[in-house]
Amino acid sequence: MTVVNTIRVNGVDHEIPANWQAKRLLDYLRTELKLVGVKEGCGEGDCGACTVLVDGEPMCSCLLLSGVVGGREVTTIEGLPREYLDKFSSACETHGGVQCGFCTGGVAVMSSWMKNGGTETGVEPVSKLLEGNICRCGGYQQLTNAIADIN
Amino acid sequence: MLDMTPPKISTIADRSTGRARYTSDLVPAGTTLVGIARSPHAHANVLSIDTSKAMALPGVLDVLTPEDFSGVALGHHIADEPILTDRVRYVGEGVAAVAAVDEAAMIAGIAALDIEYEVLPHAIRVDDALALDRPIHDNFPDNVARRFAAEPGDWDAEVKRVTHWAEGTFETAAVPHAYLEPRACLVRVDGNELELVSGTHAPSMLADQYNKIAAVWGATVEVTTPDMGGSFGAKWEHPTHLVCLSFAHRLQRDVAMVLPRRDDMIAGRTRIAMRIFMRIGATADGELVAKQTKVWADNGAYSLHGPSVLLAASVRVDNLYKFSAVKAEGQLIYTNNIPSECFRGFGIPQSAFAQEQLVDELARKLDLDPVEMRRRNAVGEGDTSVHGWEVTSCGLEDCLDMVRDRIQSHRNDSGLVSDGRFKIGYGLAAVIHCVSNSGHDEATDISNIIISVDPDGTICVASGEVELGAGTAEVLQRTVERELDIKRGQFRFVLGHTSTGPFGRGSFASRTSFFMAHAAIAGCKIFSENCSKLVDDLGLETNASIAEIAKLAAQKGHAESLKATAQFIPENVVAADDHGYGNIASAYTFAVHGACVKVDTLTGKTMIQQYWAAHDTGTVVNYQGAVGQVIGGVIQGIGMALSETTAVAENGQLLNPGYLDDRVPTFPGMPNVDVHFAATFDKNGPMGAKTIGEPPVIPVVGCIANAIYDAVEERQYTLPMTPEQVWNSLNTKVQ
Ligand code: FES
Ligand code: FES
Repeated sequence: MTVVNTIRVNGVDHEIPANWQAKRLLDYLRTELKLVGVKEGCGEGDCGACTVLVDGEPMCSCLLLSGVVGGREVTTIEGLPREYLDKFSSACETHGGVQCGFCTGGVAVMSSWMKNGGTETGVEPVSKLLEGNICRCGGYQQLTNAIADIN
Repeated sequence: MLDMTPPKISTIADRSTGRARYTSDLVPAGTTLVGIARSPHAHANVLSIDTSKAMALPGVLDVLTPEDFSGVALGHHIADEPILTDRVRYVGEGVAAVAAVDEAAMIAGIAALDIEYEVLPHAIRVDDALALDRPIHDNFPDNVARRFAAEPGDWDAEVKRVTHWAEGTFETAAVPHAYLEPRACLVRVDGNELELVSGTHAPSMLADQYNKIAAVWGATVEVTTPDMGGSFGAKWEHPTHLVCLSFAHRLQRDVAMVLPRRDDMIAGRTRIAMRIFMRIGATADGELVAKQTKVWADNGAYSLHGPSVLLAASVRVDNLYKFSAVKAEGQLIYTNNIPSECFRGFGIPQSAFAQEQLVDELARKLDLDPVEMRRRNAVGEGDTSVHGWEVTSCGLEDCLDMVRDRIQSHRNDSGLVSDGRFKIGYGLAAVIHCVSNSGHDEATDISNIIISVDPDGTICVASGEVELGAGTAEVLQRTVERELDIKRGQFRFVLGHTSTGPFGRGSFASRTSFFMAHAAIAGCKIFSENCSKLVDDLGLETNASIAEIAKLAAQKGHAESLKATAQFIPENVVAADDHGYGNIASAYTFAVHGACVKVDTLTGKTMIQQYWAAHDTGTVVNYQGAVGQVIGGVIQGIGMALSETTAVAENGQLLNPGYLDDRVPTFPGMPNVDVHFAATFDKNGPMGAKTIGEPPVIPVVGCIANAIYDAVEERQYTLPMTPEQVWNSLNTKVQ
């Protein structure tokens, strides 16, 4: 078996150093690559603050080991298209979707996946798709409205 | 010398695109990490700690034990919380601390500590604590940390007028604050200079306390507040701060500690669980006359803000109605639970849960409309309440009308009707709240602002308050933009940074916008005057904008002459007396909430169909921010009402130290919250504004309980009103 230890993060290839292979992807992204827009809210897969896209699918980076994503493509909030982030952030501004902001990066990643055809629009309500993203500031209604407003 | 450049205050765009920087984001790779050895016992003496094996491990740099902090304790009212303890009072309490080069060495170091305990009898329920033969704190032999009593009015005379009573004993739960960003701190050090970087409500107050302690080491402490991922009343002084400060000073290395979620919950803080006996007496024509309250509050192991929360829970809700006589008493009882703390609403949601249900019950007994009942009895503009609150503006009528009308149209239009299994019900609840509380600490209930000009001509506005994620920065931005006619970019601001900013009391008690905006308006006025003076002195163009004048002043070396400092001190407020009497705030806010619920009588599950929240907060300065605060408060209230609690095993172990088991509200199932603001203007407020902050969470539990009663005709006495709880109320009838 060959171990593929290269990952592409936000369009750039990285060799995962041996000592990072058995550590969480979340830590690798935050510490080694300094992509601190990825947040740790729980480390247990409950809160969604650490959400990244792995080959286009949303996943909790706190539940993945860096070695496991070898050969794959990872997108963090820092790697979302500028144009999408602008839309997301102005929708948040209009609808009051952001309070402390600690959950917001994870929600932004989820919403970009939805808007990108990750899910068929209208099949599942936004609230169902976001059930893994906790916002303790309670911005669910505003975030739902903000996401609905992004075209 | 440490570089004390204040962090940039993030914008909404920063926070929504991953550019905001929270404490843990600022920890450089390779920083020395700190971890805590926690007690597995709820109550024990620490007989010995052998650190030799830990110290011998590669990568372990230092170990701290209780001896290193002997004589040091934290606490707002009662200094009872040790930094590291040789007498454990709850499971998870810190006994020793390890600093190591990385996480693996830190964890190995903690595991290698040899700690010997002598286990003591413990109590996790207040009744057991009152009966415990061994006190939890030796200087509180009966385990009562604080007693409170108040009896305004002529009780004996007034109760003679009462024809109808409603009464009950209500139990509320300890709920973790569960902010999304776990507790974190980073300490930077250079010689005897220490900088604590950590999100907190009150950086100036922390710096004051910590400087007293660090003075013994010959060190000084400044506090820097970066972006903060929520707090809701939890993030104040904390033992972990001092552990990190001490390590940094001893090792002369920057150190950091970021708590894992589990540790944050077992060694965090919770809302104070209470048992409240309450009875309210009315006359036959619906006048609320007399009210009696008894509170047993579970302090947990340490007191923190417990005494003020006890006072608030015992009497604050009384101020809403024109009671002629009140009898209130409360006890704050030490137990071997996680230390409880203020949590948005300061104990008032707990007593509103009781009061608003009893008022509802009386309205039903007297065949009065619940809206009418409240309208008839509530205080209004010009009134002084039973505990001395002087109401300068009141939009309660407007809020009552809004909720009544919306409920009426929902009844008519929603098509929701009870059928055999599913019952529909409507409920409402009201609240009064104070803008700050000078009774807490009169001397420092102020806000300061400094407006100066940077070398490049940027105007710098520094306030001592902080941004908790609740919109404080936006309020300051809008105030300054309006007062000086400049735009963000032409000015920057500094919040929560003790080395460059002025003293600030901090962001809590629904005080921030009110106090900070007042100070900012005063500061801007002085700054403008200074600008005009400079224009005259230098013979400049009189139509130059403030931004242009500041630029010129910087270029020509006159920046200093523009500098403005201002302070806001509220007038006509006093500290409450020992019985909670006094006009403690410059203004009071009001709100009325309404809910429509559907209760599944087969499972006991409550589903909120629609929610209405009408608030009187004076002039609304930051509309989106205010709406966010209201909806966020409602969602937190729904968690408190229906699902959240700390489950504690008999041995004191927390059984649900995580989000899923605590069951915080998530996206699905959250109702639409229809928000309304009453058109009021308070003469004491900056631009007529009062504040938002806490009130949105306060009425929720009572409102939902009233809606459940309306649906199934069973009163709810216990929080959270889980399916089991509601099902039990339906199925275990007292014969
Ligand atoms: S940090 Fe990964 S789900 Fe919470
Ligand atoms: S904005 Fe604070 S957790 Fe969502």
